[in-house]
Order: sequence, then structure tokens, then C-alpha cells
Amino acid sequence: MNAIDTAIRAAAASITLAGITKSYDADTVVIPPMDVELKAGEFTVVLGPSGCGKSTLLQMIAGLERVSGGRILIGGREVQDLEPKHRGCAMVFQNYALYPHMTVGENMTYSLKVAGMPKAERVERVAAVAKMLGLSGYLHRKPGQLSGGQRQRVAIGRAIVREPGVLLFDEPLSNLDAQLRHDMRVELAELHRRIGATSVFVTHDQVEAMTLADRILILNKGRIEQFDTPKAIYHSPASVFVAKFIGAPPMNILPVTGDGSVLRLSDGQVVAEVSLSGSFQLGIRPEDIAMEGRVGDPAVKASLRFREDLGSHSILAADLADSVVRVATPFGADPADALHLTLIFPKSRLHLFDAATGRAIPGAFRAH
Amino acid sequence: MSSDSSLFSNRWLPLILVAPFMLLVVLFFYVPIFQAFYWSFFLERPFGGGSEFIGFDNFSRVLADPEFWEAGWRTLVFMVIASSLAVVVPLILAVAADRKIRLSLPARNVLVWPKGVAGASIGVIFAFIFNPFVGILAPLNGMFPGIWAPGLDGTDAFITLIAAHVWGGIPFNFVILLAGLRSIPYTMYQAAAMDGAGPWRRIFDVQLPLIMPQLFLTLVLEFTESVTSAFALIDTITHGGPGGATTLLVYKIYTDGFNGYDLSGASTQTAILMVFVVILTAAQFVFLGRRVNYER
Repeated sequence: MNAIDTAIRAAAASITLAGITKSYDADTVVIPPMDVELKAGEFTVVLGPSGCGKSTLLQMIAGLERVSGGRILIGGREVQDLEPKHRGCAMVFQNYALYPHMTVGENMTYSLKVAGMPKAERVERVAAVAKMLGLSGYLHRKPGQLSGGQRQRVAIGRAIVREPGVLLFDEPLSNLDAQLRHDMRVELAELHRRIGATSVFVTHDQVEAMTLADRILILNKGRIEQFDTPKAIYHSPASVFVAKFIGAPPMNILPVTGDGSVLRLSDGQVVAEVSLSGSFQLGIRPEDIAMEGRVGDPAVKASLRFREDLGSHSILAADLADSVVRVATPFGADPADALHLTLIFPKSRLHLFDAATGRAIPGAFRAH
Repeated sequence: MSSDSSLFSNRWLPLILVAPFMLLVVLFFYVPIFQAFYWSFFLERPFGGGSEFIGFDNFSRVLADPEFWEAGWRTLVFMVIASSLAVVVPLILAVAADRKIRLSLPARNVLVWPKGVAGASIGVIFAFIFNPFVGILAPLNGMFPGIWAPGLDGTDAFITLIAAHVWGGIPFNFVILLAGLRSIPYTMYQAAAMDGAGPWRRIFDVQLPLIMPQLFLTLVLEFTESVTSAFALIDTITHGGPGGATTLLVYKIYTDGFNGYDLSGASTQTAILMVFVVILTAAQFVFLGRRVNYER
């Protein structure tokens, strides 16, 4: 660890969003009032489908969009009315947004130059950051002469060279190809472990969210669906939206009705023995569905539609009670009857959601 | 051009397609230019009846004429001032417009149309606008009699010419420069804002460097155009006066050749002017063109 790592770690600031909202007019509310607290040094991933307001949220923190109401506190300081440069945030853009007419070195020092830092100090600072990011040999090149991954590293370098309190990432990996995206993800995780900057990372890629985040903030139409650790989000999704958004393939959701002793699918088959009554949505992950006999849980019959062999495992898609359920099986595990499947939904792996609101009903399958 | 492209498998089709254009360029540009160079080595009789080869005598005669050097100097001054202004004024307008305006296609068309106005028409309009008795500067003469007299004062006449030229150049250059500014990605401004650069600083650090290709294009076109397009303006506004103060080379060539019937002298000056413009344009490419960054 050297001087610049320590400096960035020391600068890391917490972010508090107190009732911030964004609307363009009375009818187009992008973000209804939202309260969130991001701890100093925490890596938060804001995840959601396109148009959910995640980029707007990021731009409001950065100061590139005005808030329509509410307060933003960075490091305990109210900043919602300040210019971007006074907020202590740095940003990494999706298309890198490097200045094409400046060299890599000039790109990285521009903010320091604007701030009036003496040249000797600038050079020293950039050298340290360039070394950290493996860009030392490229300082005199123009961005146009670099590969996509190198450009992204320059963009990150430009952001951290200022030792900002908050690092903002706006879908920074979505312009890279699959392999590079994976490599950069690992690099980002390592970098975060090293410098510990408060980071807010916007993406629609659940893999990025699961692998990078300390906590994931899932947005849907500007509202927070869930804000929790990746593990909690995967294993106990707070709503049908989250359950369907996370996981590949996503969680199976089936409408069920409870008669007080069992839960039945729409075609009458019993999927679970539980003393609940009313309409619900039942969720189960593809990898949690069992196909071999298991004592205690009822079995349902489904007919196979198609299978995808992915090498490590296979995904079976089967028709079950007017829905299609996906089942993940070990590769090569061929069901005895190629068309008629017997599926078992282990009770401990079931998730129950309110039919009307889509919110999870925690503890529904416990203590019975 | 190699014919290995699969787009044009027919060998002759490309040639046929460019033939009409080539014919026009050769007939109305290269042939006359060649003729001018050719005639500059002959002494032509004003009313016909043959010519005789005299080598470089025309050149030594023209180059020894102080009037030629004065006209040449005026041409250079006009070129530098008028073409710089014809780029700078639209640049300021474009930067201002880029801030807020989203120009629709019809609006852009309306803006470009003045480019189609013939130089002579612009000249007639400006002769009226800058008329010392009824023009916009006439009240100035009411307050300070004689302060604006383009008919008597060479400088005033020169200013009128430059104003007319700049006005004629604004639309085209404005549209080109605005298009350049519009093509700068918005995130570039956001990045600069995050880096702490204010609007003023962004103009010089981000916008201008990124529209260098457009600036270079307009400047090169303006430089070459200012040499020739001045003719229509001079012919309608000042007729080269007062006292030759607005006689640029193009106008001198015309009057020498068609009023003074010094056909050989006019050809020689045309050749010299031509070489001068070629050198100047080449110099622009050598000294400026290399710095233009075409990367986005």
C-alpha cells in the first residue's frame, strides 16, 4: 500500500439520500422520494432494468442532474445545490468520455490542472495512479491508440487521481466484450479492495452486481425493491420483481392457491403441504427443483418442452399448469422418461409472495 | 484507382459516372488556367492580330510595377482579416447557439440559403446598408460629420468590403461549425464538468479542440474563396476606389485585362495569383493540417 491508496481510503465519504426525488413534470416522476444510506468505503451496485431511474440517481449524486426535492449528504455535507466540482465525486462513464485530443497523461491530470495543482505534484500523482493501473507505458499515447480495456482503465485513473470521496460508475463495462468485461470486473474488485473508495456502480448486469457489490440496490420504476447483500438478495428476494430479475435463468414463479392444508397449482396438483389459505405466487429457483424421489415432499407431473445443454449443466423447460418451469440438472442427467417429468419442490427452497403486491411473505414455510 | 472492389465490377461504369464532372472541371477550370499560364509568356495584341513569345518579360514587367505590389498587399490583408472574421464570427454564434438551440432541418436550411446569394447581390445590398447618407451609419455622420465616408476614405471602403464578405460567409461556416459542436458527445461535457471545468473553460479545452477539423475546413475554404469572391463585392460596392484603396488583385486583373486591354499582363497576374493561392493553401495544410485531430 502506498501514499495514494491511503489518501483515497482516507477520503472515502458516506452518502445519505434523504427523500430525494426527480420529476420532469407532474406526470413524469422518474424517482419518487427515496431514502438511502451508503456507508463510507462501501461498494454499492444500483441494479435495475433500463428506464428504472438508476442513471438519473447517479447523475443526481454527481450533480449532473438537479434534484426535484430532498437532500443529498456526502460525508455529512449537504451538496444537492452544489456544482459537480464541489461535491468531491468522480465519475467513470459508459463510453469512457476520454478527451480524444489529450494524451492519457493529460486526460488523467486535467482535473488537477483545472484545480490549479502545481505541475510537479500532478506528474507525481499521475505516475502513482498509472503504475497502480498498469498504464505507465501509455501516458504519452492518445486514447484512440488504446484498446477498450485500456481506455476504461484510463477513465478509472482519471477518476481516482483526484482522490475523490465518492467514485461513481455509470455502466462502465457495458461497452466491453465478454472476456474483457470479466477481466475488468476482477480488476475493479481488486482495485476496490485496495483503495476502499466509496463506490456507486450502476448496471443492468446482474453478474456485475453479484460479484462486485457489498450491497445491491435494486430499483424498479424509481422505487427501491430491495437493498441488501448479494447473498440475501439471491436467497431471500423481497419481491417477485427481484426474484425474476436475479438468477440465470431466473426464479420460476407459479400462481398457487392454498386451501388451509396444501398449496395447489392452477391445474390442481399439490406442490406443498402447508396450512395457508388464499392466492399466492410461489417461487423456486431452477437449481432447487429435484427430479429424483425424495420422501416428504409431493411430486408434480410436467411435460418436457425442450432442453438446453450448457456443458456444466442442462436447463430443462417443462410445461406445468399453464406455465413453463425451468429446471437446472447436472449435465448428462437424463430423466428416465424423456417427455414426462416428475418434479419435486423441496419445501425448504420455496419462496412465497403475495399475489396482489408481489412482496415476499417471509417465514411462510417455516414452523409447520 | 484499382478495380478490385466488388462494388463496381464493371470497369467502365465508374469512369462514365465521373465523366460529366471531369468534363466540366477540365473545360472551365484546367483549360483556362493552362491558357493563362501559356499566355503569360506571350505578348498579345489588344485588338487581335497575333502574339509573340517573349519569355519572362511579362513577369519582370508586372513584378516591377508598384501597383501590382500594392494590390497584392491589399489582397493579403483582405484575405487574413476577412477570412478570419468569417470564421470567428460564425464560431461565436455557433458556440452560443449550441448551448440551447436544437436546430430543426428547415431552420438549418433557412440559415444556409444566404450562401446561395450571388456576391453581386450582397454587394448591392451592402452598398446601400453602408451608404453614408441613408445607411445604418448615416446617423453617425449626423453627429460627427464626415466620420463615415466610404466614398472618400479608403479604410471605410475596405471595412465595408470586409463586412459584406463576412456576412456572406456566416451561414455556411455557422452550419459547419455548429454541426461540429453538435457531434461532440454530451458525456464529454459531463466529464469536463466532473473534472471541474466551467462553461468558459470547456469552450477552450473541449469544444474548440474537438471541432478542429471543421475549423480547419472553414478556414481553408475561406482563405481561397476570399481571393476570388471579393471581385463581385468590389465591382458593385467600390469599383476598386477610392483612389485604388480597394483594388485587390482579382479586380486589378479584370480592369487591366478588359478595361486596359493589357491581356498579357492580366494573364501573368492570374498566373502569379494562382501560384500564390496554391502556396498559401499548401502552407495551411503543412502548418495547421498536421495538428488537426480527427479522432473522436
